[in-house]
Amino acid sequence: MNQERHPTEDLPAYALGALDRDEREVIARHIETCATCARDLAQFEEALFEAAAVGAVNVDPPTDLRTRIVLRHRGARVPSATSWSDRAIEFLRSPVPAAVPIALAILLVVALGVVGASRQQADSYARALAGVADGRVVALAPTGANPDARAAVVIPTQGSPYLIVRLPAPPTGKAWEAWVLKAGSSGPVAVPAGTAERGDVFTLSLSAPLGAGEGVAITLEPASGSAQPTTQPVLLVEKT
Amino acid sequence: MHPEVVVPDKADDVKLVERIAGGDADALGELYDRYGRVAFGVLYRMLPGPEAAEEVAQDAFHSVWRQARSYRAERGSVRTWLLAICRNAAIDWRRTRGKRLEREVTIEAAAELLSDAKVDERVVDRLRAAHVRAVVGQLPREQREVLALAFWGGYSQSEIAARTGTPLGTVKSRVRLAMNKLRESLEDER
Repeated sequence: MNQERHPTEDLPAYALGALDRDEREVIARHIETCATCARDLAQFEEALFEAAAVGAVNVDPPTDLRTRIVLRHRGARVPSATSWSDRAIEFLRSPVPAAVPIALAILLVVALGVVGASRQQADSYARALAGVADGRVVALAPTGANPDARAAVVIPTQGSPYLIVRLPAPPTGKAWEAWVLKAGSSGPVAVPAGTAERGDVFTLSLSAPLGAGEGVAITLEPASGSAQPTTQPVLLVEKT
Repeated sequence: MHPEVVVPDKADDVKLVERIAGGDADALGELYDRYGRVAFGVLYRMLPGPEAAEEVAQDAFHSVWRQARSYRAERGSVRTWLLAICRNAAIDWRRTRGKRLEREVTIEAAAELLSDAKVDERVVDRLRAAHVRAVVGQLPREQREVLALAFWGGYSQSEIAARTGTPLGTVKSRVRLAMNKLRESLEDER
């Protein structure tokens, strides 16, 4: 157990999520090393979330939500549970061959660049969505092919629907193609709705009309575009 | 006649999380079968509409997948762990993705901790739900209000003080008293 003062007075507010950021961080650090406060917190949370379960709205989730959640994770890797701090300590304790620090330094520079770019992309996407002035925003779900992919259909109160997309650049000769999914007699019919040969965060106007409740998908296609999807969607919403 | 309702066993829940930690996506589906409805119901109340609740529910179950190996049964039940993940995902959504006007739940909309909706009995059985309602009902109105504003509305104690014109010390005191009462009363019979 650590020797800091126990934040007994603030623990209830911490469990409730009612502390400001600075206060929250202090308590979060304390709990990591204090079994007594961790136990108290667990008891507060058990009571609070039981009340929340009773207070929740009793509403049917979308019928395909379960399927999308399962499909997204089928075949996906589960990250290691070991915390970064534990891994760092483990690493520092192990003997280090002379060439390793140089290799690690190079890797660190590359990794920082990748993480920085990735975070920047996530921020740009969030900003793009936050900038939607009016209308309705419906998220497409990643299907597992690219779990980090994000897209949302924006259906403005005036004007044509468009997509805000976060995807990596497609391979050379390929493009991301959007589809409007219309009801057909033997299942949904995909109507081409525009292509983009770029990556990062971008918008894509839907060139096909999007009717009420129709779906939208994005697939990887030849840069010239396809008449019908030839690959599995990377992003999909069956009903907008 | 109502079909028999089977409340999930806590040990079974832990086994499910262990299967998820092992990379079993079907176990994630089974966890969704147990708690997906209540998780969606919590998010629906915390967020401005069904689209946001749907988006955040997917994010939350993805976090369950990512964090399954970190779950520690001694730190709380699977239900609490999952709902805490949902709450945190909703807070993230409000801060980063919610349109400016959507980020805020009005004081009036958030001001009551419990709803009148029928509870999903797979998550909290009828008798237990009645007990929870009684415990919450016995809290003074001001204490129920601060709990609801913080939990459903996402307001911090200082925001609640500013918006309701109540001294910060009073808000803190109400939070403490209400949470302690919840903990004492709901822990007793668990």
